[in-house]
Amino acid sequence: MSAFTILFAFGVISFAIRSKLALKFSSLAALVAAGYLTLNAYPLPLNGFSLTAGVALFEVVLFIVLGAAVLNEDENVSVTQTIFIGAASVALLESATLLNFVISFEALSIVSFVLVANIKNATEASGAVKMFIAGSIATAFIVLGAAFYLFEGHPLNAPLQNVAAFGSVGLWMALTGLFYKLTIVPAHSWAADSYAQIKPSHAALLSGAAKTVAALAVFKTFSPFLLQNLELNAPILIGLSILTMTLGNFLALFSKKVSKILAYSSIAHAGYMLLAFVAVKSGYASTGLLYVAIAYVFTQSALFTLLGNLRKDASELTLEDLKGLGSKDKVTALIFTVQLFSLAGVPLLAGFISKAVLVYAVVDADLPIVALLTLLNSALSVAYYAWIVKHVYFDDATLAYDLKGLKAAPLLAQLVLLGGTIYFGVFAFGVFDVVL
Amino acid sequence: MSYEYLIFAPIALSLFVYLPTRNLGGTKYVALALFIYMFTQTIELYKQLPAHGYMSLGKFLDVRAFDFVLTLQVDRLSVIMLLLTSVLLILVTLSSWSLAKKPAAYFSLLIFFSGAIFGVFTSTNFLWFFIFWELTLIPMLFLVGIWGAEGRVYAAIKFFLYTHAASMLILLAFFLIYKQTGTFDMTLVKEATLATPALIWWLMFVGFAVKMPLFPFHTWLPDAHVQAPAPISALLAGVLLKMGAYAMIRMVILLLPVQAEKYAWIFLVLGLLTLFFAGFMALYETHVKKMVAYSSISHMGLIAVAMGAMSYASLSAALFEMIGHALIISPLFLIAGFLHQKTHTWEMGDMGGVMQKAPYLSAIFVLAGLGALGLPGTMGFIGEIAILISAIEGFGAWMVVILIGSLISASYLVWTFRRVIYGEIGEKVANADLSMNKAEFFSLLIFATLIILFGVYPQPLFEAINQAFSLYFNTGATL
Repeated sequence: MSAFTILFAFGVISFAIRSKLALKFSSLAALVAAGYLTLNAYPLPLNGFSLTAGVALFEVVLFIVLGAAVLNEDENVSVTQTIFIGAASVALLESATLLNFVISFEALSIVSFVLVANIKNATEASGAVKMFIAGSIATAFIVLGAAFYLFEGHPLNAPLQNVAAFGSVGLWMALTGLFYKLTIVPAHSWAADSYAQIKPSHAALLSGAAKTVAALAVFKTFSPFLLQNLELNAPILIGLSILTMTLGNFLALFSKKVSKILAYSSIAHAGYMLLAFVAVKSGYASTGLLYVAIAYVFTQSALFTLLGNLRKDASELTLEDLKGLGSKDKVTALIFTVQLFSLAGVPLLAGFISKAVLVYAVVDADLPIVALLTLLNSALSVAYYAWIVKHVYFDDATLAYDLKGLKAAPLLAQLVLLGGTIYFGVFAFGVFDVVL
Repeated sequence: MSYEYLIFAPIALSLFVYLPTRNLGGTKYVALALFIYMFTQTIELYKQLPAHGYMSLGKFLDVRAFDFVLTLQVDRLSVIMLLLTSVLLILVTLSSWSLAKKPAAYFSLLIFFSGAIFGVFTSTNFLWFFIFWELTLIPMLFLVGIWGAEGRVYAAIKFFLYTHAASMLILLAFFLIYKQTGTFDMTLVKEATLATPALIWWLMFVGFAVKMPLFPFHTWLPDAHVQAPAPISALLAGVLLKMGAYAMIRMVILLLPVQAEKYAWIFLVLGLLTLFFAGFMALYETHVKKMVAYSSISHMGLIAVAMGAMSYASLSAALFEMIGHALIISPLFLIAGFLHQKTHTWEMGDMGGVMQKAPYLSAIFVLAGLGALGLPGTMGFIGEIAILISAIEGFGAWMVVILIGSLISASYLVWTFRRVIYGEIGEKVANADLSMNKAEFFSLLIFATLIILFGVYPQPLFEAINQAFSLYFNTGATL
């Protein structure tokens, strides 16, 4: 029995559960059971899967976030899909061979497509179609890259091996596809529209949970290859990373819709995550990435679901609509602001120490200029986060829509996510002691 | 005894006190009681300090892997800053006593600020120092942005972004130190073990120069000062700027003395530029609070010149002037804000004759102004003369040019007295009710008392200050 088994089995069973309350409670129980099994080091019981302490920590964090998503969801079908996302994520995170990685990655992609296919209007349809097309292109690159790798004579059902030129091209091809999904510039443009247009709770799962899972899994699988060809790979990765964070931040700075700002911020964060690949030779790179993933999954999930809680047609929510939120709905405003501050890297919140470790990894890898550019980018991002806070607290109320307010279950979900953001901001002990 | 609660209790308390008191009221009493308690605890700390060096207050939240350890240690320098901070927090609370707009949130933010600033002055782990350094920005952002004047939003965001961006340079410097020494503990770092001391020095210098602020990194401050509510302007000038000066002394000078000696001329040049530029700007101003703001910046230039002289005497003079500046400039901000609140104008030309309607208030304004221009018998005189002497010792006789700065100060302050305090009573002043809340007046009275007390009897303060630097300089010289 492993976390994957229990989640997958429950996902299948959940189709038969009609009662919303029963489904929520049983889903939470399944996630708790999955967490228990993970903590007790039960990996997926198949060849080519393994469970390290770092992965176990992230899986537990992921189950907490998925639990919050379940609490927040109001549709049975989305709850079931959330559980399947959990199962696919576990498989991907525990993959120890290229074959398992590719299969699990595609499984997560397919579950994601099904999730966003739960379409209610034309805007959501547009976002879902863009995501599907982008995903298909990425998949083509990944499969073709794996084929090149295989063609050079390396087995797919083993960890990555040292490659020659042809295999190198193959792995870069696969990485191109993966970077497409991770929204690395120049393959980022689909994400801004998709994240902003699909249902906010789905955007929370995709840009928060699925993306961080993918980033960790890609790092875990491909870091031996990146280390093998560091001199060649590093300049490309540095360029992509700086370009992604800078463009993401500037586009967010000039956006008016809140969901777009968060979507571009998500792209910028993909650039930060890529720093771990840049600094792969540093012992702090994997810790930094793990920490950023933990911080990011809490904040991004909280922010997107809060958007959905604020307004039904959240994709239309503009900065102007947030004016006066601080006086109209103090709880939502406070949680929203604290999570934004975490994204901005304000101390005592997870976003600070995670970015600090990641940037230190870059310094440790003897790349101080890259570290400086990253820090300046982080300062730039504060501009649009502060701008949102300005609308929330400093401007007079002009809310032109009815505030839904946070009901009990979504409030509990938000408090869980807030607890994670604060806990990992202050009590950083666990993350440093584990490796991916 | 464990002191970490002096940092984390206020941070946690700020939220917990807000929720029950936002409807019931009484947050100001909690804030006042807390700040008085912090003051008494700081006095206790001062009594326990060893003659030289640091006193450990404990290690907390220990993450060895990244040296992410909250190491709390204090020496004379940090305890003097803590005393100044706690006194100012008490006086700022009293000055805000009659605040009508969202008082629970306002005082809760002040409480949060107190925890963060205590962290800045007690943490000797670079990473935790940085964390507290950045945390001070959050309450300030809201205090300026919500309770400020008409242009408050622009000023608050500008202040936040400007200083945050500068902090990134400081963080990079700390990371380089950790990379090269393997520790974030500032008491363990030795300059000789650093591979790139010059780069680290420059990163920290620019980062802290923004906070002080020194010309040309000062542009965030006039806006913040002018738009902030008067008590917060006092806190900005009295504590936040001093935080920059404290860090400059602690890290740029005492931690990296060789580089500091090498680049002492930078302090001198930027200090003089700040002194004269801000002085001339103050002279040009007709906006009473802007005039005080530029006067404040000008005095920070003087402090930078003293830092540049890099001697036992000059650093003592700089620290004395830092305290003097905090106590002198705060009542000027408070009275300027009070006059605006009552007369609804910032223009000095629209004021005049305040002495006739509020003689005690006017007397305190004049006293603080005379302190700012360095009149004998006030703290300002002691600080400025000490800086002049040490600067002449350090850079030569041509340092008498500093006196031109004092002359400029005298010009704009005397002219301000003429336009605001004396002369014909202006229409807006005539129509205004200039009666002041007792708590607010009491706080001004304490400022006035301290300005005179340390002006005529500076010895106890100088003794404390001298001991703050005796560890770093092998000299018996005292001021």
